[in-house]
Amino acid sequence: MLDFLQAVSDGMLFGATYALIGIGFTLVFGVMHKLNLSYAAASIGAAYSGLLILKVFAAAPAWAVFLSAFVGGGVIGYLVYLTCFHFIPLSNPLAPLMSTVGMFLLIDEVIVHATNGMPQNYPAMFDDVMIRAGGYTLRGDLLLVFGLSVLCMIGLLALLYRTKLGLATRAVSQQPVAAQLCGIRVARVNAMTFVVTGLVGGIAGAMMGAAVGALSPVLTAPLTVKGLIVTVIGGLGSIPGAIIAGLLVGGLENVFQLYRGVTERDLYVMLLLFVFLVFRPGGIFTAKSGRD
Amino acid sequence: MEFYYGLAQIVGVHTLLGLSAYIVLLTGQVTMAQAAFFGIGAYVAGMLTVLAGWHIVPALGASAVMGSATACAVGFPALRVKGLMLVVATLAFGEGVRLFFFNFDYQIARGDLKLGPVGSEGFRQIRYFPEHGWTTGEVMLFIWVFVVLVMAVLWWFDRSRYGSVLRAVGEDELAAQSVGINLTAVKVSAMTIGGAIAGLGGGIFAHYTTHIEHSNFNVLVATFAIAYPIVGGLSNVFGTLAAVIFVQAFLIEGLRDLGDWRNLLFGALIVLAMNLRPHGLFGKRRGSSHA
Amino acid sequence: MLELRRAARYFGGVRAVDGLDLTVAEGQIFGLIGPNGSGKSTAVNVITGLFPLTSGEILFQNESLAALPTHRRLQLGIARTFQNIRLFGQLTVWQNLWVAQNSPEDRARRSFFARWLGGEKGVRAEISQLLEFSGLSARQDELAANLSFGEQRRLELARALATKPKLLLLDEPAAGMNSEEIGHLRERIIKLRERGVTILLVEHVMELVMGVTDRIAVLNFGQKIAEGTPAQVQNDPAVKKAYLGGA
Repeated sequence: MLDFLQAVSDGMLFGATYALIGIGFTLVFGVMHKLNLSYAAASIGAAYSGLLILKVFAAAPAWAVFLSAFVGGGVIGYLVYLTCFHFIPLSNPLAPLMSTVGMFLLIDEVIVHATNGMPQNYPAMFDDVMIRAGGYTLRGDLLLVFGLSVLCMIGLLALLYRTKLGLATRAVSQQPVAAQLCGIRVARVNAMTFVVTGLVGGIAGAMMGAAVGALSPVLTAPLTVKGLIVTVIGGLGSIPGAIIAGLLVGGLENVFQLYRGVTERDLYVMLLLFVFLVFRPGGIFTAKSGRD
Repeated sequence: MEFYYGLAQIVGVHTLLGLSAYIVLLTGQVTMAQAAFFGIGAYVAGMLTVLAGWHIVPALGASAVMGSATACAVGFPALRVKGLMLVVATLAFGEGVRLFFFNFDYQIARGDLKLGPVGSEGFRQIRYFPEHGWTTGEVMLFIWVFVVLVMAVLWWFDRSRYGSVLRAVGEDELAAQSVGINLTAVKVSAMTIGGAIAGLGGGIFAHYTTHIEHSNFNVLVATFAIAYPIVGGLSNVFGTLAAVIFVQAFLIEGLRDLGDWRNLLFGALIVLAMNLRPHGLFGKRRGSSHA
Repeated sequence: MLELRRAARYFGGVRAVDGLDLTVAEGQIFGLIGPNGSGKSTAVNVITGLFPLTSGEILFQNESLAALPTHRRLQLGIARTFQNIRLFGQLTVWQNLWVAQNSPEDRARRSFFARWLGGEKGVRAEISQLLEFSGLSARQDELAANLSFGEQRRLELARALATKPKLLLLDEPAAGMNSEEIGHLRERIIKLRERGVTILLVEHVMELVMGVTDRIAVLNFGQKIAEGTPAQVQNDPAVKKAYLGGA
């Protein structure tokens, strides 16, 4: 029982990063009705870019790495916007999708080239802090991962619901043509969506690196699949859905691993997705659809 | 010459992979499951020739049948999942199949040797072609007979009413329903045919490469499968062929001198192609649409 | 031929169609009018099966349509045109008509045996006839997306006719037309009735409705507020109130 609780709580704390990735996918889908398949790779890439600061200041503290990953994420996000969504006419559904696939491959390769394919160590904070209660351990670094991720989510929700940009974003997601007629510069909103999700992705990638202790380019494909699963389970376009789904997937993944081992773990996560697709294809929070 | 035969083999098999996605994409279903059907076909054909001693042609027939049966089974639940969600669902299905093969063991002893798939190590010794004395050139021709056959069938579909019906569904499902088109029949049939082509391609792949494993059927391969018809354009089958030649011959082999930078260039080239020609290298220029 | 009994379609709290009773007799040209948002388009969508009924019944030739999907209703003989044209832009004019030949008669002609007996020729002849009726013969190989707006409207109608309908639902076919075009449309509708097609015309443009229908029903807020001949409806005070508001 204790093992179970431990697995669930560790999984959920880590699952906050999945939630962030899910948020990134779902936000772009909600605003532009497009899938950005490069997002998970971009987030890992942003985490790597955080390590660049160590090249300049070899003794930089962990939080500086996290911060530069955050900034790097925003930059990469904007780049993805430019290469995949700014010039390609958005009425064409397949071309932007394919372009994001191209960016996925490109980012992957850049990472491999820059690091010669070797996994890189990632700094963590509070990894020596352990809060114990009986046989149960609460890892300090995981708590930080969770905490920072939650802060990120709060910041994002504040942006969406308390700022003018957020209002414009919500308008565009509901009625892009009408929004444009009201004077909202849709292209600018789209670009900012990518920058914001990029920033979020940077935190997610950095937190993942911090929790695991290392980064490797082989993470990109599984993370993409997992992020998409989280997005679908949460409901495409729903941020609260992505948050809940991320924690759910994180927790359950660990539980599967506890009982069935690492090799079968992913199969069960896949099964979880199929259960949702069969019984609740709209996800936890189905996006509201119009009458048409 | 051997080198060019080998290249032609790769182009042939990848064309089948691309064509399997082509017909499904026509109906507007973006499928990341083709690599899974490809893999199923590969394992089935391999096991039939190696473990059951079948002749290659019926083995390929069986792989096509298995591919189409699985695709048909996937096609029905796929109807419930709209648009980009289908990408995710098929991606997950593909990963599920790959994980299955990652864990799949089935071995038979033949004398001292143990033959058959072994989980993560894969399926080695699919030696039908060498054992029966086929030269590289003969294998290449064999592959291309099938490629030409499939292309001819799809070309004929494109010119027939079925082809127009497929594209009508892909363009506007609501209008298609309203003129009496049965969406379920059309979408599932396209998926099934795509599965058959992928299964066939996989069966051939297993035999010319002689060793298959789960990673041969991963997300990247699934991506290639839809990349070919998208980059080549959905107007006709030659677009897909052109895209395969462009990618495999030009990019991967032609840029051999650039060594490790090829893969980098590949992603960049896809991005460039989509920006410059969003309807594909051979896509028709669309007329202006009225709101 | 068509009967709606207390048909209702709710979208959450919105009662788009609220207890509608409607009877269209065979061979009639029946008009359905009402202010914006009165439920006319929803009524069409419910008859064709795009939305299921929340309650009530729809009978076509005395058989209930409940649970029949749209394409099956088409095979029974119910076709429609769309208010904002939904052509297959990437298909040619000819192909748009070709894919619409889904009546039981045409499906039989495509069967294996029928083909050998020359069924295909009949198909070509019929498409050519439709093209002539719609004045589109010269444009048969053009992509539908490249047609002019007027040509697209005609193709939309021709495509509905390719399905060999018994009942044709026209959803605001006269929107944006000038008087001359409305005159042409009126003639075409009358010709259709002569060919044996029953027509339910949903329309705003009174010039067309009053000039071509046998009978009109007026909707407001999803309910029928008046019914009768064009003359009767024009003089009905409830109708005037619905359109103009106030006394």
